[in-house]
Amino acid sequence: MRTLFRNGRILDPSQELDIVGSVMLEDGQIIDLGADIDEEDADEVYDCTGLWIAPGLVDMHAHLREPGQERRETIRTGTQAAAAGGFTTVCCMPNTSPALDNPAIIDFILDKAASPDSGGVFVQPIGALTKGQKGEQIADLAALKQAGVAAVSDEGCPIQESNLMMRAMEFALQLDLPIMVHCEDRSLSQGGAMNEGMVSAMLGVPGIPRSAEEIMIMRNCVLALNTGCRIHIMRVTTWGGVEMIRQFKYLGAPVTCEVTPHHLTLTDESIGEFNPNFKTTPPLRTSVDLDILQQALSDGTIDVIASDHSPYAPFEVHVPFEEAPNGMSTLEATVGVVLTHLTHKGVLTPLQTIEKLSTAPAQILGLAAGTLQPDRTPVAQITVIDPNVEWKFDAHRTFSKGKNSPFDGWNLLGKAVLTYCGTEVYRDPFFSDERYEA
Amino acid sequence: MSRQMLAIRHLEKTDIEFLVANAASLKADVLAGKPIDAKRAHTVGLLFFENSTRTRVSFEQACNYLGYRFVNFSGSGSSLSKGESLKDTILTLKHERLEAVVMRHKSSGAAQLAAGYFDGPIINAGDGQHEHPTQALGDALTIQERLGKLSGLKIAIVGDVLHSRVARSNSWLLSKLGNEVRFVGPRSLIPSFTSKLPGDVYYNLREGLLGADVVMCLRLQRERMDDGRLSSISEFSRLYQVNRSTIKSAAPHAIVMHPGPLNRGVELDDATADGPQSAISDQVQNGIFVRMAVLKWIFEPTAAASEVKA
Repeated sequence: MRTLFRNGRILDPSQELDIVGSVMLEDGQIIDLGADIDEEDADEVYDCTGLWIAPGLVDMHAHLREPGQERRETIRTGTQAAAAGGFTTVCCMPNTSPALDNPAIIDFILDKAASPDSGGVFVQPIGALTKGQKGEQIADLAALKQAGVAAVSDEGCPIQESNLMMRAMEFALQLDLPIMVHCEDRSLSQGGAMNEGMVSAMLGVPGIPRSAEEIMIMRNCVLALNTGCRIHIMRVTTWGGVEMIRQFKYLGAPVTCEVTPHHLTLTDESIGEFNPNFKTTPPLRTSVDLDILQQALSDGTIDVIASDHSPYAPFEVHVPFEEAPNGMSTLEATVGVVLTHLTHKGVLTPLQTIEKLSTAPAQILGLAAGTLQPDRTPVAQITVIDPNVEWKFDAHRTFSKGKNSPFDGWNLLGKAVLTYCGTEVYRDPFFSDERYEA
Repeated sequence: MSRQMLAIRHLEKTDIEFLVANAASLKADVLAGKPIDAKRAHTVGLLFFENSTRTRVSFEQACNYLGYRFVNFSGSGSSLSKGESLKDTILTLKHERLEAVVMRHKSSGAAQLAAGYFDGPIINAGDGQHEHPTQALGDALTIQERLGKLSGLKIAIVGDVLHSRVARSNSWLLSKLGNEVRFVGPRSLIPSFTSKLPGDVYYNLREGLLGADVVMCLRLQRERMDDGRLSSISEFSRLYQVNRSTIKSAAPHAIVMHPGPLNRGVELDDATADGPQSAISDQVQNGIFVRMAVLKWIFEPTAAASEVKA
């Protein structure tokens, strides 16, 4: 069985490839790609003329909510949302109920993900760094690694005590597991619900000072530099935090970082009149931060764009702003938002865009993904993107159960229109029938 | 779309002027014992998620004078303390055939949220640290009465501005009417960024009071010491108490205001709280008349600003 992705713009950052050409698969595996490959004998053809052919996108930070929070999302709905959003790998965060702190739960996740009614994409679990994510006792990291986690994290409940964090880094280093860190000094953020700034002052909403994030970025970078443990800073949001990461990278600290589509496009002013769909952690900052985040993404200081997909049930969000949970449902809007507001505006080249959304996260986590090179992945992972399709994001028509999106109603330019993960897992109506021949 | 009273920030200057003028004429009628011509006996729900005896009583009195009916819903013992969400409470009230809801809630923006689920008008009686519009309207009436005007004045708002909905509503109202607003207090109790609030910041009391026509003190919550924003009450008083000595920086005709409840000897000394410059008891009484004006404004939206001015 031969499958041909014909005549698209092949964007593969893993080989610095940006050419017009075709990709040939045999039995769900890439066997050849290039400008003039043998296109004979294809059993099925996807005509990608005018479209991008990219390695399947990798979201290194999403919340699939299972087990225990199925009212918000399940592995089935979350992986369907991932496929529709163009992602062939989605990393699920450990703050479930119970937390992903032991091998049995990791097995459960992987089984669910592999079941035929799931979205057909890879689910890569991120293990809990401490038992129950309580920040008290390090989880059994070796057992978690054997069970298949690619990194460990305490997500939104980061270890506050520096001594424990240092020990955690020593354990993780020994196992060559990166730690994904959310940077928040709880003593400074406590009671706050949005960025401390002129908007919080006007709305009378308790503020979270930027120092809460920056102090923890600094601490974690210092510990990474001195222990040698790889850390990945999740969702950096302040210009000061970006500058610290830049300095520590320069010093040789094993640090990478990510930014979310919402922190790249929204500020505290976007909250308007207390719209709880715009509440997240760290909070939406200011236009000054937004400019520096975009710049740092472009110059390479920020390695990755991650969705931080955080779906909630409607009843959880329809509450006063201060009581609303942190997080936004973003998996299905991420590619469109990034293309519209970064790629088309010249902040990122098309190749950089794919690097931030696929190759870089795969490399940081050591995944067999993020590349179109033959034999480098267990099955072919390909995302076809139409960079010029105009569409409107409707949060109420998503695969995700979470309708809490700040991007609802946005007009976007560019969309993932075909997602292939060993087999076709999503085909968008914008990928017209005439483009497919079997 | 019915009228709402969610925040002074959203009001037009003409609406503010209309409401203050109408409150003054309602006050004159009430004091003269004239009957108030309410077109209909509307039914108003008083929904207090946070206890507030004085604001609730003031709304009840406003309803009494207007011949309206009111229904009380208060915190403990009611459905409000049984885990029902704000959304469900509001949806329920809609079907209890209430025509308007007066609401006090601990979260900023709660009134805005409630307005999204209730077909009729919501009157914000205090939402978290955001706004307390009827308090500011009452204060405006008091200033108008005592100083004979409501523009071109210097207003010093003193104390815990950061946590004060009264400070926010008053600063919007008074700046919209063309007054100079000053926020006076310690750095730990003034927002760090004030460019979206209509006032200048003074960390020194005497500088802030210099030439002020109105000195508006804010209530100091004792819990501010728990989160480290104050070392002690006496330290605050030493630096920011409006008293017989510090008031001398203000204009000789200055009036002193406080939304209550007063911490005697903290925000104000006895001499200033009880002296001739104090307008505190006027504030309480005027609260009733502006709430009458707000209720009428909401239920009789055809009454245009020009009618009263003429």
